Amino acid sequence: MSRFITLSVNEVSRRVEVEPRETLLEVIRDHLGLTGAKLGCDIQVCGACTLLVSGKPVSSCSFLAVDADGCEVTSIEGLSCNGRLHRLQEAFIETGGLQCGFCTPGFILTAKALLDEQPHPSEEQIKKYMAGNLCRCGCYQEILDAIQKVAGRRAVQNG
Amino acid sequence: MKNFEYLEPRSVQEACQLLRQHGEEARIFAGGTSLSIVMKQGFFQPKYLVNIKKIPDLTGIRWDPKRGLTLGALVTHRELETSPLIQETFPILSQIEEDVANIRVRVMGTVGGNLAYAEPLTDLPQILIALEASIRVAGPDGDRTMSLEELFVDYYETSLRPDEILTEVLVPTPPPRTGIEYIRFSSSSVIDKPCLGTAVRFTLEEDLETVRTARVVLGCVAPTPLRARQAEALLEGKRYEVQRVKEAAAFASRECKPVSDLRGSEAYKREMVRVLVTRAAPRAFEKARAFRGQV
Ligand SMILES: Cc1cc2nc3c(=O)[nH]c(=O)nc-3n(C[C@H](O)[C@H](O)[C@H](O)COP(=O)(O)OP(=O)(O)OC[C@H]3O[C@@H](n4cnc5c(N)ncnc54)[C@H](O)[C@@H]3O)c2cc1C
Repeated sequence: MSRFITLSVNEVSRRVEVEPRETLLEVIRDHLGLTGAKLGCDIQVCGACTLLVSGKPVSSCSFLAVDADGCEVTSIEGLSCNGRLHRLQEAFIETGGLQCGFCTPGFILTAKALLDEQPHPSEEQIKKYMAGNLCRCGCYQEILDAIQKVAGRRAVQNG
Repeated sequence: MKNFEYLEPRSVQEACQLLRQHGEEARIFAGGTSLSIVMKQGFFQPKYLVNIKKIPDLTGIRWDPKRGLTLGALVTHRELETSPLIQETFPILSQIEEDVANIRVRVMGTVGGNLAYAEPLTDLPQILIALEASIRVAGPDGDRTMSLEELFVDYYETSLRPDEILTEVLVPTPPPRTGIEYIRFSSSSVIDKPCLGTAVRFTLEEDLETVRTARVVLGCVAPTPLRARQAEALLEGKRYEVQRVKEAAAFASRECKPVSDLRGSEAYKREMVRVLVTRAAPRAFEKARAFRGQV
């Protein structure tokens, strides 16, 4: 019953043999060894397993891998470039937007999707978009600061 | 999750045939946001999963001034939220979608899945019923249309046959002087499913004082979305008055059948129905008076 699917993972084409019941999270972690995305609640509430599929945030714990055949997937491992961290990653470190780090890949990918859609979100827009990601360490203010830092920096860059 | 065979029909007809062929062992799969949970928990173990997302006919949002709004079953929550066409014609839908679930569920979850799953804790059915929406359903022997209200039978139970697919939702163009208000109330966190969802819609007579049509639709307080018909009857054909709204709200509070759960006790929910109907009605009334072609 297994079949081959082709995914572009962080811009590298990968052919993987999967069973229909396997989730995208299992494929990314167990077949491809990218362990940034975490299994949390398993019911799409916490956001720890967030990946971007075609640029949009999804709960990979509840996304069938076969359903992602032919799609572009971005995981946290794909954000840095030539050993340089992504601006959001830097900002999270600068503001202390993480403690244990379990939720961080999901937060950063969700924030990336937001800023790709809407480069200068208001505080309200950030809070609404990010409301579905949970941080048990309670770094919400610092996470908000980090995202605003990047959004603000972009505003300056774009004049 | 138990293994299953994954089928990807390219047309509605092909999908219906597959559903007929495999009967109770097959299940339609759209965004998968609801189905994945019950499959992982082992409540559902379909042998065949029929993914309908490769069927182009089921996508898209269309608007025609005469027919109204047509939503393909595969339109996602996020599309409703962000579509300029919706924002222009039915801004209520886009506004409420901002508060549905979380961004990931809105990206994947579809309108068809939201309705066909018939879960009691949802938002769209109340609004769509208040707007007198109907649905189109395709089966192996052809299509049929029914009012959305008729879809809902019981908790997680619809009037669809196992080989039928909900293909479209049709929302008629609102008559002049129509206003609708929806209040989504969540008793724990804002991203939780609603504890209550209350839609009130009025269409007024030309005097802008008399209620021609009233719809009071309550969600999450019965096995299915519920029209508070006594409340509606009390309001219709009479002048809009605050005292009458209070009486109608009291009717609605008695008409619903909430159960106590972690989102609130039965008594609490009844009281909140009363509060929310009282609160939604004046807003719907003001919107109807200020009607400019959109709701
Ligand atoms: C964490 C979370 C929070 C949520 N919060 C809210 C909320 O606040 N408000 C709200 O309204 N909803 C909420 N929901 C429910 C959500 O809206 C639904 O999960 C979603 O819309 C279902 O769509 P789907 O495409 O994912 O359906 P699927 O999971 O793919 O399918 C659901 C069911 O519908 C059937 N089905 C799907 N499409 C069709 C069709 N076209 N014809 C016939 N049958 C079909 C399937 O066979 C299945 O039985 C929430 C869900 C989650 C997981």
